[in-house]
Amino acid sequence: MNGARIHGIVLSGVGGQGVLSMAQIVLEALRRSGFHALQSEIHGMSQRGGSVHAQVCYADQPISSPLIDDGCADLLIALEPLEALRYVPMLRISGHLVVAEDPIADMEGYPPLEDVHAALRAVRGSHLLDTEALARKLAHKQAGGMALLGMASRFLPVAESLWQDVIAQRFAAKGEKVTAKNLEAFEAGRNLIGEGVGA
Amino acid sequence: MTQHTLALGVEAAAQAAFDAGIKGAFGYPGTPSTEGFEYAEALVKQDAGGGRVAHWAANEKVAYDLALGMSYAGHRSLVTMKHVGLNVAMDAYANSALTGVQGGLVLLVADDPGMHSSQNEQDSRRLAEFAWLPCLEPSTVQEAYDFTWRAFELSEALQVPVMLRLVTRLAHCRAPFQRREVLAPTGVGLTPKARVQDWVLIPSNARRRYVDLLAKQPRLREAAAAMNRIVPGTGRRGVALAGLGRAYFGQLVLEHPELAALPRLEVAAYPVQPELEQAFLGQVDEVLVFEEDYPVLEERLGLRGRARVRGRLDGAVPRTGELSPRILKDALGLATPEGKAAASLELPVRAPRFCEGCGHVDAYEAIQEALRNVGAPEARVFGDIGCYTLAAQEPLAAIHAVVEMGASISMAVGASLAGQTPSVAVIGDSTFAHSGLPALLTAAEAKANVTVVVLDNRVVGMTGQQPSQALDQVERLVLGLGIPEADLQTLTPLPSRHADNVAAMEAALRHAGPSVVVFRRECIQSLRRGVLKEHDREAREHAACSSCTPEVTR
Repeated sequence: MNGARIHGIVLSGVGGQGVLSMAQIVLEALRRSGFHALQSEIHGMSQRGGSVHAQVCYADQPISSPLIDDGCADLLIALEPLEALRYVPMLRISGHLVVAEDPIADMEGYPPLEDVHAALRAVRGSHLLDTEALARKLAHKQAGGMALLGMASRFLPVAESLWQDVIAQRFAAKGEKVTAKNLEAFEAGRNLIGEGVGA
Repeated sequence: MTQHTLALGVEAAAQAAFDAGIKGAFGYPGTPSTEGFEYAEALVKQDAGGGRVAHWAANEKVAYDLALGMSYAGHRSLVTMKHVGLNVAMDAYANSALTGVQGGLVLLVADDPGMHSSQNEQDSRRLAEFAWLPCLEPSTVQEAYDFTWRAFELSEALQVPVMLRLVTRLAHCRAPFQRREVLAPTGVGLTPKARVQDWVLIPSNARRRYVDLLAKQPRLREAAAAMNRIVPGTGRRGVALAGLGRAYFGQLVLEHPELAALPRLEVAAYPVQPELEQAFLGQVDEVLVFEEDYPVLEERLGLRGRARVRGRLDGAVPRTGELSPRILKDALGLATPEGKAAASLELPVRAPRFCEGCGHVDAYEAIQEALRNVGAPEARVFGDIGCYTLAAQEPLAAIHAVVEMGASISMAVGASLAGQTPSVAVIGDSTFAHSGLPALLTAAEAKANVTVVVLDNRVVGMTGQQPSQALDQVERLVLGLGIPEADLQTLTPLPSRHADNVAAMEAALRHAGPSVVVFRRECIQSLRRGVLKEHDREAREHAACSSCTPEVTR
């Protein structure tokens, strides 16, 4: 088999965490980097505090499938640890996972958090982020999502300046202060993972 | 002017309708169709002074008739709905096949295979076939745009409404697409006098128009023929592809170039011409069919009896649910990659649930306590479609039947006529406007012993807080339908009002005959977003204006 290589990213979390919004940033960054890219998302009931996930595919040539097959994703970005575990089987053996440690555990049967964290650490290529600690450090309650994106950016073929452009554009309507806070969170996340890791 | 735009599939279709010069867009919210209307609405707003309109309707049938009236008046129109919404609009849709159209009319219907947010996974292609009307089925966001243009051109050329069928994965797939030049909504002029009788479906005209519709079928097939094709290959094993089946297969060919050698039949438009099916079946001994939802193409090919046809009917593809790349790979015998191992932890389902502080929860708690107080803790409660359907789940488990829009009231009446006491219906304000009104009229007329609870959160909550058509009018509607004022109560679902609400609900349950309880508190999501701020400000100013009759607000 010498077919084209199509890259896949899975984003997951809980309704209201901003999964779809992050997927749109990733889509835009890849598109502006010259890739053919598309994004798939599920709306509806999932907006009411249920699991939410989105997928972004990209390649050098035009693509048409909105869905990534199990075992074919290169990167999983998870805003919630249990929602990360759900999608681990979508990752290639060589795939990477960036995940927030802080749970949204307002449900029955949520496994003990240390078990969830242990299971995530056992996944090769996983990078956990203590989003709460980072938010405290940056004095920015919402820093976690952008920091995760910063970590994830190490595994995506997008120039750092382009990420900054896309993020700045995304938050432009909310003013300079909000934009600066988000760029700061992105950088903090990006610096947590060494350069060249994703190459 | 050509440019790249990034949007969802259902939005690309709306953009195309705008660019193709629609005068109006109409619809009723329903996942995954909602964003289509909203996109058209936003375009119309930006185009202030352009003479275009966009209106949500009380239900899908009303929306369809609005579009049909606009067509009669000589203008292009778009009407959007989800698949089960087409059931509601079916009377209008099927009969508009006989009247035909004047201005182009495109029905954008979004199916939901896999039932992500729906009560069934019916296939709208069957309804197009049933109505003898054309259906175009895009497989990519660009096609969603291009096919919508095509649909308007076909609608006017063939003088019939044209269905554009999307499915969830395409409706909610975001990708770039190329646009065409924008046409102004100039129109083609009012239905001429000579054609007026075509629109009057009394039997003598309808018989003639049905013959005309059947006579158009070869032209419909010709129009579809331009969009369907055979891609020849080698070997006697082939694939037949429609909708997302085309999209998934097309991408698999990129990854597995050897698949390009398979002979394939690609279907993008219906009705499919039999000659094409025959020609394809002549090239293969076995064909795998990949289409989204019902085995429509599969059955047609199977009936020809010329090759072994495989798909949903023989289990090569799962009988229910949506397609996926994995389903295609398995059916084609392709190796599937080994991914990372799943964690050995048990992962509980994270089900959707009521928002923190939602008034529906307070209302249900009052209803349940009142039922216990009147000695009917096990009473079966008829529910309806909306956020409040979430109460069917534990821990509330407060509703025990949910079928289709508006069913709660009529089912409660039916059960009461069978002797069930108490018979309680729970319905949202928008669903009440959608199809609860005739049901409540019947309840009042039959003096049925039912308690109808209207959960009025002032918006269509589930689909994104669109304004409800019954906004600020529920009580007036209830009274107008024949419910006596003494048997109507309005309550505020708040924990602090719980005791009063239980008492009022109890009184309604004990009342012999129809009674209505309205629980009103705005959806906390719309409140947070300020959706009704402008509306409420205008209403206050209006009420304060001495030259106007004050609004009746209760």
